[in-house]
Amino acid sequence: MADPNKTDELQFYSEILSPSELFAARSRSHKIPVRGQKDFFPNDSDEQRQRLEQSLNEQWSLISEERVEKLGNLVKATWILSEQIVELQSPAGKFWQTMGFSAKGKQFLLPEEALYLMECGNVQVFYQDLPLSIQDGYEMFLSSSTVSLQQYQVFGHLKRLGYVVHRFHPSSEPSSYARQLNLPQCRDRAGRQLKRKRSASPTSSNTEAQEESTADRLEEGKHGYEGEEDEKLPESQLTLSPETSSTQAATASSAHKGGGRTWWMTDVLKDRPDQRPASRTSRWDFSSIPFPDLGSRKCLSSCLASPDPSLLPGSLAVGVCDIALWTQKINLREVKMSSKEQKREEDKRRRRWDVNKDREVQQCRNWAEYRKLLARRQGKRKGRPEHLWDREVTPLHDPRQPIPTGELLDKISVIESTHLLEGASRLKGSDDWRISFNVYQPDSVADFKKSNPGKPYSRMCVCSFDGPVPDLRAIKLLSFQSGDIPVVFAVVDHGDISFYTFKDFQLPTDVFP
Amino acid sequence: MDEPPPRTEATSVSDSSPLAVSVCDSSPLLWRVEDLRSVRAQGLVGALLGALPRTPRQNVRLGRPLLLLPEEERLLTERHVGPPTATPADNQDGGVELQVQQYQEAQQRSYEEQSVLALEDRKSALLRAMTSSPTESGDESLRCRLAALESSFTFPRSAMAVQLSTARAGLSYCADTRDFLRADRPIRAQDEPRRATRYQVFRDLRGRGFYLTSAGKFGGDFLVYPGDPLRFHAHFIAVCVSLDESLSLLDVLAVSRLGSNVKKTVLLCSPGPAGRVAYTSLQWSGMV
Repeated sequence: MADPNKTDELQFYSEILSPSELFAARSRSHKIPVRGQKDFFPNDSDEQRQRLEQSLNEQWSLISEERVEKLGNLVKATWILSEQIVELQSPAGKFWQTMGFSAKGKQFLLPEEALYLMECGNVQVFYQDLPLSIQDGYEMFLSSSTVSLQQYQVFGHLKRLGYVVHRFHPSSEPSSYARQLNLPQCRDRAGRQLKRKRSASPTSSNTEAQEESTADRLEEGKHGYEGEEDEKLPESQLTLSPETSSTQAATASSAHKGGGRTWWMTDVLKDRPDQRPASRTSRWDFSSIPFPDLGSRKCLSSCLASPDPSLLPGSLAVGVCDIALWTQKINLREVKMSSKEQKREEDKRRRRWDVNKDREVQQCRNWAEYRKLLARRQGKRKGRPEHLWDREVTPLHDPRQPIPTGELLDKISVIESTHLLEGASRLKGSDDWRISFNVYQPDSVADFKKSNPGKPYSRMCVCSFDGPVPDLRAIKLLSFQSGDIPVVFAVVDHGDISFYTFKDFQLPTDVFP
Repeated sequence: MDEPPPRTEATSVSDSSPLAVSVCDSSPLLWRVEDLRSVRAQGLVGALLGALPRTPRQNVRLGRPLLLLPEEERLLTERHVGPPTATPADNQDGGVELQVQQYQEAQQRSYEEQSVLALEDRKSALLRAMTSSPTESGDESLRCRLAALESSFTFPRSAMAVQLSTARAGLSYCADTRDFLRADRPIRAQDEPRRATRYQVFRDLRGRGFYLTSAGKFGGDFLVYPGDPLRFHAHFIAVCVSLDESLSLLDVLAVSRLGSNVKKTVLLCSPGPAGRVAYTSLQWSGMV
């Protein structure tokens, strides 16, 4: 019964190749015929008709070509319907560098990745032990629960151009809270944990050696532990120039002699025994973080106020900080200035206007006289019409106070320009617009790591010409979600895809102070 | 609808073999080459979406599937009213086990045939090499070599060529036969007046022999070609507006400026009473 049925089908679908056709396809050309110049208007000439026929024939032969691959070059995989995912059955190919993921000792591809690789002739996907056609792939893999057809169009377009394209997960982005604190990102935690395991045991067994002296290590650095120890040093120290590293070593050793260590080292080692200092120091720009100036004379209180609770995680309470211990260690001697510097300071002080130094003011014996003096002086000044200044609402600027033009412009700009991220953190999220993909540039492919992909080049939000244009709210929300990475809108118009971005624009002010 | 004579041939062609419109994520796609040809013969262009099998990693020339415009889909549906579409040969007959068995048998047969072909290929190559070389050591050694080749030749399974089918075919999993070979699918969101306007304009222009594609990148509804887009440039950008719709002057200026920049004429197309469409072209006058 199966046989006649099958021959029927073969007649019906003439797109199944015979073994001899399959064999012949091995020596197939990979060139695309060039399209000639188009004509302006059809004129019913035979020449035009012939050319059209030729173009169409070329087109049909290109389009009707079937994918033929050697079995050995194909990666075998199966479609797992319940999880909407593709599991590899044979070792992955070169594509594994930028696509797929491992879980529970198995290798998986996301549906859009599997479909793209099917289209490229790299992967053959089976379901119920039967191979899926490209059509099956489109119909089974693409859905609203995975990736829509339009999203796949954008995905495929970018992949064919060589970009690395990954799904965007909002949860992998640091929260606004983490961004406010400038927390180091720990997206690649899994990868790091492995490395940590390796260095964990030597660290604990060598705490003694490490505590002996940081300085010794830096200066000698030739003994047995050297290799392991080096790993523990913050990267920034390793890359320092010889002089700076030796001075650091000196301070470290002096601190050691004094019976303690520099406080930041203690902090790092005690509070986060599992965190490698390298990852922290390298991510933070200390020059932009204000530390309390403990040495200042004005800071007379012996305690630092506790930090703003809005910056702390809910359960954490931080009390006031006693700084007496630290101030003892700080050099509090006054700065000795040279005569030149002293003079400069004095000049600076003199330039500052002080009411009490005014001779006429000094001559006033009571408030009434002072008021009279003020009234007399105001009368002299023509630049300021009095009637404008004796009401509740006054002009934005007092013309008697000379300030640079730039500052003046700032002062009188009542309606200030805004930027995309302003107020975005207060907006509530919505589901109408979402980022679909992280995109990495093609030239990064060579040393791309899936575990640590780094910063994307851009992020894609897929939308359609049939749909609405994103409003300011949507744009603000998306760019806030994306942080400092530009959000690109991929607008799909049937087969065409156009890419648009919305950018902040600062109107230039051609005033130089 | 009254059609010009050339179209009747096309319809008769398409009547003979119903189109297999597959629905992927609610978009109408065509997969079989014969369907693509038949649709093109009816003057409908569509848009290719897939990677070209020959050189998949480029975007200049794409391959199957072909995505139909909603207007194209609707036009096709209207032409195919009446005859119920053929149902596909029933794959489900013997269940999945039987299909798997058939598939594996076919693979084995293909492997055997290909290994015979490979051996022949090798033999002919050897023959060519031997006969062309000047040192003629006689038929004897040639026969020897051929015999040796035949006995030692093995065709590794990994060298077997396998087809990755584009369209769903006989020997593959067939998920849902209901979606298959169906031309009279209900149109989604048909009541939208905008869609109705677009469709009327599309049908009228197609009826006049023009080829149409979508014109989002030119800020219009359709690009209008005087002949097959493979050979001709588009002449017009069609913007569909209903007659009672008021237009902002700025929009009109913007679209006509864009049109003149890409050397195309902008057509404002408004369907009127009795199925007629009023066309208005916009041009910059040369007055200073």
